[in-house]
Amino acid sequence: MSADEEMESTAGAGDNPDADVAEHAVDGPANEGSGDPLLSLSGVETYYGDSHVLEGVDLEVYEGEVVALMGRNGVGKTTTLRSVLQLTPPREGSIRYRGEELVGRETHEVAARGLGWIPEGRRMFGQLSVEENVRVAVPDADDADAALELAFETFPDLAERRDANAGDLSGGQQQMLAIARGLVGDNDLLLVDEPSEGLAPLIVEAVAEALTEAAADTTILLVEQNLPLALDVADRFYVLDHGTVVDEGDTDAVSAEGDRLRRYLSA
Amino acid sequence: MTAGVALASLPPLVSAMPAVPLQFADALIEFLSPSTLADVILRGIAEASLYVMIAAGLTLVFGLMGVLNFAHGSLTMLGAYIGGLVLVTLVSGSGGGGRLLAFGVAVVVAFGALAALGGGIEVGLVRPIYDRPPLYQILLTFGVTLVLDEIARIVVLFYGLQPTTVWQDVLGTKPTFLAESVGAAGVAVSGLELFQILFGVATVVGVHLFLTRTRYGLFVRAGGEDSEMLSALGVDVNRVFTVVFALGTGIAGAAGVLLAWDPSWGASVPLAAETLLPAFVVVIVGGLGTFRGTVVAALIVGLVDSSMTWWFQNFVDFTGLPEMVVFLVLVITLIVKPQGLYGVSEVGGH
Repeated sequence: MSADEEMESTAGAGDNPDADVAEHAVDGPANEGSGDPLLSLSGVETYYGDSHVLEGVDLEVYEGEVVALMGRNGVGKTTTLRSVLQLTPPREGSIRYRGEELVGRETHEVAARGLGWIPEGRRMFGQLSVEENVRVAVPDADDADAALELAFETFPDLAERRDANAGDLSGGQQQMLAIARGLVGDNDLLLVDEPSEGLAPLIVEAVAEALTEAAADTTILLVEQNLPLALDVADRFYVLDHGTVVDEGDTDAVSAEGDRLRRYLSA
Repeated sequence: MTAGVALASLPPLVSAMPAVPLQFADALIEFLSPSTLADVILRGIAEASLYVMIAAGLTLVFGLMGVLNFAHGSLTMLGAYIGGLVLVTLVSGSGGGGRLLAFGVAVVVAFGALAALGGGIEVGLVRPIYDRPPLYQILLTFGVTLVLDEIARIVVLFYGLQPTTVWQDVLGTKPTFLAESVGAAGVAVSGLELFQILFGVATVVGVHLFLTRTRYGLFVRAGGEDSEMLSALGVDVNRVFTVVFALGTGIAGAAGVLLAWDPSWGASVPLAAETLLPAFVVVIVGGLGTFRGTVVAALIVGLVDSSMTWWFQNFVDFTGLPEMVVFLVLVITLIVKPQGLYGVSEVGGH
């Protein structure tokens, strides 16, 4: 879903359907005791024009964990990632990365601090080759060859099509390239938006595997509506509804079939 | 290109109709003779070289930034004047080799001066309105062109630069090998045309290498597709915009120096509009924002223009209409392929 769709959807949403939000919203992060969070959002309020999309989002991501951000279409998941990257800067609130305030910085400055983005819809540079798509994501040109080696070792399918235009790849291959672009960017935190969207089940499995491998070295904030995938990959979760966090906890404590998440995620 | 058509000067086409088929056949045979054809093609390529130099910056800026720079012609005109001033300053009394060296210096100075001015315009004027609708950018750059044209007009009138003998001597006199024609196999080509082709080829090769072999070129191509994604990869897109804007205006300035030396163009304030119109034709026919399209369209427009010039001179005995034919190419392209030869539905910008 595009940011615009998300804006419209949120703008037209009704009241919160759940009265017992507070019941689960007090679980707290699993790694809370392991030090300062890598990323923390506090009271983030983001608008598209006059539409109030994020209405005071608070969340924390600790180093080494995978955190899933879930919710229905239009509740502000993509906007949360865009706010972190300052692509849609919040009007109020604080976003800190390694303790440093990100609000007010340029997007490229935020990215240069080690935040990578694997956006919804992949957003390949379609007229550039696979190799060029990887090269453009490498901060230091001297590291390009090593980055290409890493990308093609992780995704051998891409190596076979390194000279093809990215726009000519299949959806699955494009998603692999999007993940590869995030991996080679020397990032400490990956913001991954709907990686399974529009992909065949077999490809979704490969994406889950790639994310799990990436999580060994990188912290991940994952926006995902595919509940089994999100719970399989993530350590903790947050649920957004109407632009605010309504539930959070460990993924071990919930199941894809249980009512706790289903009531927020089913249409 | 000649503007202005007096209706009274039109030849009596209707009364000449019975003789036309024979004349047409004779003209066609003459046109297809190897020497004429080679001459027309070389003239066309020389013209295309000028067009590609004028339009390269326009298409680079639009391709990356989505900004249609109406001030581009004025920057070319300023390049012609700056180059002319450098030539006037350096050339007096020097021989052919000295003039060529002075020309090289003039190209470098005009490129540098216009690149700096273009960079300043991008940072100071265009950047603050990137997030506004395209109409703002069109109005702004149109306003810039009015200001630059008036400044040039005032300076020229006040100091009387252009009418001075030394100015006309310097710009009207070229090194011997450029003023003379080079002949081979019955085809005579002016040295100036060969020089223009050389510059055009150098521009095409240079821009192509910049786009395909440099990291900045990679950013330019990626930013043309999705500048937001590029910035999220850690690239300072605003800096890339400034570099490309400066590069584009620098090339326009260098092209202006070449035009100042060409008797069919020359340094003048109206040069701004005279260059902007064909540049727009080339950029639109090629497809907005595609450099490859610009090169191909420049060749098409150059060859059509030189062919029609020959036909109107030798068959119709009238020289005013070829310019109309160039715009006819634009109209046909917009009807048949509205996005241009290599155009895409959407190009860069914020």
